[in-house]
Amino acid sequence: MSEPRHITEGTTAHKVYRWVPWAIFAFVALSAPFWAVHTPAFSIGESTLTFSLGNLNHAVAYMVGVLGLGILVGYNGQISLGNSFFMGIGGYLTATLVTDDGWSYLATLLVVLPVCFIVGMLVGLPALRIKGLYLALTTLGLAAVFPSIVRMEQLRDRTGGANGKRIESDLDAPDWVPLDTMSDVLSGIPLVGEWAFGEGGVSGREADAIWVYFLLAVLTIAAFWVARNLIYSRPGRSIIAIRDNETGAAVNGVNVPMTKTLTFGFSAMLGGLSGTMYAMAIGFVAPDVFGINLAIFLIVGLVVGGVGTLSGAVIGGIVIVFVPVWAAQIQSVPGVPERFLRGPTGTFFLGVLLIILTFFLPGGIVYGVRKIRARFVQVVPDREVAGGDEIVVAAGDATGGKMSRHGGGSALEVDEDVLDPDGTEHGAAPDAVPASAQQPNQGEPT
Amino acid sequence: MELFLARLFDGLSSGATYAVIAVALVLIYKATTLINFAQGELAMLGSFFAYILAIEQGIPLYLAIVLAMLLSAVLAAGMERVLIRPFDPADHLPLVIITLGLFLVINAVAGMIWGFDPRSFPRMFPEGDVWSMGIARLRWYTVGTMATVLILLVLLTLLLKKTKVGLAFRAVSSNLESSGLVGVRAGPTLQFGWMLATAVGTLAGALFVADPFRQLDPTWAQRVLIFAAAAAVLGGLDSLWGALAGGIILGLVESMVVGYVDWIPNQMGLAAAVVTIIIVLLIRPNGLFGSKAVERV
Repeated sequence: MSEPRHITEGTTAHKVYRWVPWAIFAFVALSAPFWAVHTPAFSIGESTLTFSLGNLNHAVAYMVGVLGLGILVGYNGQISLGNSFFMGIGGYLTATLVTDDGWSYLATLLVVLPVCFIVGMLVGLPALRIKGLYLALTTLGLAAVFPSIVRMEQLRDRTGGANGKRIESDLDAPDWVPLDTMSDVLSGIPLVGEWAFGEGGVSGREADAIWVYFLLAVLTIAAFWVARNLIYSRPGRSIIAIRDNETGAAVNGVNVPMTKTLTFGFSAMLGGLSGTMYAMAIGFVAPDVFGINLAIFLIVGLVVGGVGTLSGAVIGGIVIVFVPVWAAQIQSVPGVPERFLRGPTGTFFLGVLLIILTFFLPGGIVYGVRKIRARFVQVVPDREVAGGDEIVVAAGDATGGKMSRHGGGSALEVDEDVLDPDGTEHGAAPDAVPASAQQPNQGEPT
Repeated sequence: MELFLARLFDGLSSGATYAVIAVALVLIYKATTLINFAQGELAMLGSFFAYILAIEQGIPLYLAIVLAMLLSAVLAAGMERVLIRPFDPADHLPLVIITLGLFLVINAVAGMIWGFDPRSFPRMFPEGDVWSMGIARLRWYTVGTMATVLILLVLLTLLLKKTKVGLAFRAVSSNLESSGLVGVRAGPTLQFGWMLATAVGTLAGALFVADPFRQLDPTWAQRVLIFAAAAAVLGGLDSLWGALAGGIILGLVESMVVGYVDWIPNQMGLAAAVVTIIIVLLIRPNGLFGSKAVERV
């Protein structure tokens, strides 16, 4: 393996390194609905896998759910399996307010977010005493109970009982949004434009679906932005400190009960937002959507993306929606009886994925990408600007070349993983991801 | 009175089955301080093994159940060796994730192989009632299940108290490091714990679906896992007899709450179980019969 290339911080090369991935990500995120709206299909053997806008919207909604869980489990160290419960509350509140009371979708957030925050805090209170495995068990129970609650006879008028509830409201694309123009521009891209984005122009139905995508995208960006700012602020440091060492955090002046309860509330609030977004994306809520399987799927999304990363939630949301969709579309595999393929293959693959990743890539995909990137490119600080001897350079930092700069005495506090010369050995367990992996990593779309 | 007796008997019969799965959870918890979230699904798988052996292979039912227990124990031995042992037992998150992965995989595999159509499991106990008064019927099934649970617990207690492997098991569960120092091999002992637990789970599964009012399909265990976990927590997670007490209490609570409180709908027995877990953990984290955990800082 050749020496990784060193990029000095502050140079043009560093700016390119930092911003080009963002630009690519922004372009992909912006153009994806125009691509997906034509439901492109890929043939593998006799099977055809599709990429539809409906599924993409579904995935975007789940990203926020995985994000909420990630903050609680990945950053605060509270093993919760109950976030599907809050997603259910969000989804059902939105469904009933929109259909029965004629609210607009976004207005329901004014109810969903506070309600989920408060319910989350209430669940978080017992979590102060119930820890670890017991908390996982309790919250799994909560997830299992949700379908029975919405099936209750007393709530049937509001929830639609066992049949679920269709939401009678259409999110129509307003005229001022130039979706047609965007589509034309994209299909005008030389060589690949027409192949990927069609003839340009969108029909009314397509425009509505694309509009929903952009609404969801704005909500998702807002959620990630708030989450990121929370994690990198002082409260965020407290949240992480509790995960790393609860007693130590308390000794250093962190209000542990308050922080844990608020984190639970925040996580639940993101869960509620995700539920509302699900209602927007699908237009239908049913009891079993928000059951024990979703609770575990969220964990799958978290682990696949990366426990203790924010950007992992983007990957996680996509994986937990598209793996089951694609698994169901697989028609034949040589040597496998066809009736097996008609069963719950999606659940099977997600379970296998969960086990395999826990073994071979415990930090998830984001972590793997960072590791690979660190082999090729490393960012080193500009010594003249930073002032020589007070700098600790992360020689082979697997977080993607993020350097650690410590002023004066604090240089002693460098995490030993940052100094790890080859940058490949890291904690075997997802919750043992070194603190350096949680550092801001602006080169990564979070 | 009749109604009360009817609900009492209902509660006893479901409580006894919760207790058996709770015993399986307790066995694994004793060995590894791990709650096996896949335990319910393993019991479901075991009940399918028994069904296939008895119905499709034509083996007599009791023999089929014993064979299914052996089969699932072998499976559990492999699982423990490949999936569980590589991880640090003190680090809970990866192990929780692995058992959740197993939960999904086992559930999906059963669904893929056997489908979701309900089947009726052969009767393990004679049909009819031991004793009845109006609508209150003490069924043979209830008596048989209770008897099986009691025999199972006596056998397990003897196994743990009187045999060498039981001694090793208790040593490992009491202190992993010290037991290693005196020559107990932790790996195989924990593996034995998994085998034992899974075999017990299979028996529990067969007992559960042998109720003429229940049917066999790959989803039955999801609900039951919560009940069994509640029973285990209530009894104290490391107490075998506590699991029995917890199971019975929970079964009674379920049938009485749902039976007597009008506005609580049928499915809400599950909520009662979850509330039980929360209350017990808040007020008496060691359950009724569990040993006190001391946390040193």
